[in-house]
Amino acid sequence: MIGDILITLALVAGVFTVVMYYLTYKGYENTKNYARIGYHFMAVMVVAASALLLYAVLTHQYQYKYVFNYSGSGLPVGLLISTFYAGQEGSFLLWLLFTTIVGLILMDYTSKRGDLEERVMMVFTFAAVGLLTMISPLLKSPFEYIWVEDNFINIKYINAQLLNSPFIQNFFFQDPGSGESFVRLGKELYAVLSTNGIAINNFLIQGKGLNPLLQNFWMQIHPPLLFVGFSMAAVPFSFAIAALIKNEYKDWVKQSLPWLLSATMLLGLAIMLGGYWAYGVLGWGGYWGWDPVENSSLVPWIIGVAAIHTMIVQKKYQDKGSEGRFVKTNLILSVLMYVTVLYSTFLTRSGILSDASVHSFVAPGQIVFLALLTFLLFFLSIGVGGVAYRWKYLTNKYNFEENLLSRELALFTGSVALIASAIIVLVGTSAPIFGTAVEIRFYNELNLPIAIIIAFLNGFSLLLKWKQSDGKNLVKDLQFSGAAAAVSTILVVLIGGVTDVMLAVFVLTTAFSLFVNLEIMFHVIKGRKSHLGAYISHAGLAVFFLGVIATGGYSQHGQVELIKGQKAEIFGHQLTFTGYVPIENGAKYAFNVEIADGESKSVAAPVMYIAEFNNSLMREPDILNGLFKDFYVAPLGYSDGKESSSDGGREVSLGKGESIDYNGFTITFESFNFPPDAMQAMMGGGEFSIGAVLSIDKDGKKIQAEPKLVKQGESQKYVSAEIPEADLKVDMKSMDAGGNVILILTSISDPASAEMNKMPKEVLTVEASIKPFINLVWAGVLIMVAGFIVSASRRTKESQS
Amino acid sequence: MKNKYMFGGLIIVVFLGVMGWLFTQTNVAYVSNFESVINSSKAVKATGSWVKEKRYVFDSERNTFSFFMSDETGKQMKVIYKGSIPNNFESCTSVVVTGKYHNGVFQASDILTKCPSKYETQMPANSKT
Repeated sequence: MIGDILITLALVAGVFTVVMYYLTYKGYENTKNYARIGYHFMAVMVVAASALLLYAVLTHQYQYKYVFNYSGSGLPVGLLISTFYAGQEGSFLLWLLFTTIVGLILMDYTSKRGDLEERVMMVFTFAAVGLLTMISPLLKSPFEYIWVEDNFINIKYINAQLLNSPFIQNFFFQDPGSGESFVRLGKELYAVLSTNGIAINNFLIQGKGLNPLLQNFWMQIHPPLLFVGFSMAAVPFSFAIAALIKNEYKDWVKQSLPWLLSATMLLGLAIMLGGYWAYGVLGWGGYWGWDPVENSSLVPWIIGVAAIHTMIVQKKYQDKGSEGRFVKTNLILSVLMYVTVLYSTFLTRSGILSDASVHSFVAPGQIVFLALLTFLLFFLSIGVGGVAYRWKYLTNKYNFEENLLSRELALFTGSVALIASAIIVLVGTSAPIFGTAVEIRFYNELNLPIAIIIAFLNGFSLLLKWKQSDGKNLVKDLQFSGAAAAVSTILVVLIGGVTDVMLAVFVLTTAFSLFVNLEIMFHVIKGRKSHLGAYISHAGLAVFFLGVIATGGYSQHGQVELIKGQKAEIFGHQLTFTGYVPIENGAKYAFNVEIADGESKSVAAPVMYIAEFNNSLMREPDILNGLFKDFYVAPLGYSDGKESSSDGGREVSLGKGESIDYNGFTITFESFNFPPDAMQAMMGGGEFSIGAVLSIDKDGKKIQAEPKLVKQGESQKYVSAEIPEADLKVDMKSMDAGGNVILILTSISDPASAEMNKMPKEVLTVEASIKPFINLVWAGVLIMVAGFIVSASRRTKESQS
Repeated sequence: MKNKYMFGGLIIVVFLGVMGWLFTQTNVAYVSNFESVINSSKAVKATGSWVKEKRYVFDSERNTFSFFMSDETGKQMKVIYKGSIPNNFESCTSVVVTGKYHNGVFQASDILTKCPSKYETQMPANSKT
């Protein structure tokens, strides 16, 4: 109840604030103060609502449907806190909380800069109002009680002591399929419980809990950081609309640049932390899979980067007192950044991608779907509409040519390349809306040439001068980096075996940009250190690209079956599975694998366990981090040899007339061959045999085979049938009462497989991978972030003038 | 003609063209009706649910995982996936498999399991870069 009240009050305050700021812009007196009070009141309400949800989660208030569905008792504190944002409603609330806080800082920032506050805050608060609407009691509030609609709760979540109470008996329900018992918790049962003085969170003593895949450190970092990035993306949007409202474009770029830099940095960092999580913990084998949800958050980031560069051009000109450049572009890109954030959240939460992505939320229902779509279209209209409205004026006022050899043109071209990349990702990601999907190579093949162009411009644009460069000087400046790049590329190609032309060109352009930026850094560091930001980030990007080339093009992976105690060789390493030990109080098992590569020995311990949560097999990889590569071991399966006595071959069960495929041959069990004299022999204790008549055919050619079971008294032996044409040896293992025969199929050419299993052996199957130079990926990201921080501080200072 | 429009326009036109072409080469349709799946000559993404009663077989020798899927009409199809059992398979009955139907069996190169009613990370059985 109180939670819904808080949200509703916040919503009302938000609308009030927007109106007050609008009136302030129109020139009314005193309304600014009211607007500020309204905003602060909204902020207090949002913080209170968040605190309430956090409290509910920490104290297990399962009367809230959201807390019951996404949280549980027994989680460590950090993870328990993270269940706050494990579901739709809570994650919207977290986003809203961050938006509100960003707004407070923004209010202070804009209040010091002329009449910026009313225009910017009006739009920004409107964005907050949008989020508030999504979690209001009208739509999907995190504070909805669990008994408002009928919910079938498994009895394992219910207080056992209360299960025998007489008044509950009518509400039991047994699912015929699974045999499990449920209690129907709805308004009726709630009324009954209330009358008997039982609180719901006494009745429900356990929640559904947090998916074990999410139970780790990164769950506490990746989503919140992502939402901070999303919140901040609304800032450049607000500045752009503010400029359009006043039809004045002199200052907005300078003022919003530090915000754009921070938003882009945090968003990029959050995305790559997600990649690190996937790689290191989830065992997905890599850090990027072009998963639609990953992609949809990448698009705003790419647009943000493009916007940064065109905005730098506009700022440069406006600082010098002349008219801006790329004015329309900057407005459009700032608008698109936030719109693509909203599109990303629409795709993720609407359920549209549920067949396509590993990240999807459950489909939220018709109303919420429409609400998400409306939210998106609304802001798209405001943005596009605003630009369209001012288009004529903008085209007339800002009309410029760029020289061919100018930094302006290079930056513009770079931004266009980035936008092309964003379009590619957007198209591939949106394909599921139209009932189709794209293979991963769609992204890789299209983005590679773009990445080459960007890598090239990453260096070349810095050698070009503003307005115009002198051709001769340009060539002179190119010499060092060009040469260094060429030499490095040759080395990489020869030593690394990079034979793919595109990749070699990519290495060349990346190395080129790295050397250009390092060279410039070397000069700048003696002077104005605050200007180093761009060069650090660009160098970071180059390092990142090199890591991507190495891991993307030259990773190796293969599957190995590790028999306990026996050495297996893969990728120049010897692996020995030595056994498993229980860890974490017996909840999980670590499978120890000794890895030797000639000189050194290490132990990798991938983990497997059955999660109580959903009765599924959970797998966690272990990684041996080296300086130049990672050796990645992902567990696939374990068998202790006791259940299957497949003798190293394949065991199949066939009924009369049934067939199975083997090596392209079809093996059909025709019938049993139980010769008439066998009956007598069986009675008399003599020797008799039973055979399984099989016909093996391929492409019309038919062969007959009959493996036999020969019995004499108590002893029995098996006679195999061999079919060299199919590289097949068939043994009869047994017959069952239903008339099926159980056969063992082994390969003749690989007799070892038949010999091996005389006694049960423990086998651990793993996928081993080599990830060369993956550290460059992580290093590149961190270097880029450092560069962003330096740039953001510089631009913040510059925005004050 | 303005330089920037020429450069920009050229890049966009070339890429839109290549993108359009590559899209047609790499697109895989989602199909929920197994009749269409069986008759299709291209690779598709078949959506349906795992037939629990028929269990599954994991052949570690051949590294294949096979099970049965049923579509919305109740029609069933056998699926053989080259790989090991996907995480979450037991509890996630909704499945999307990518591949082609051949000789009575759907050969899957990729499986996506979908779990009912929760925010979750579902496990892909494919590999990433």
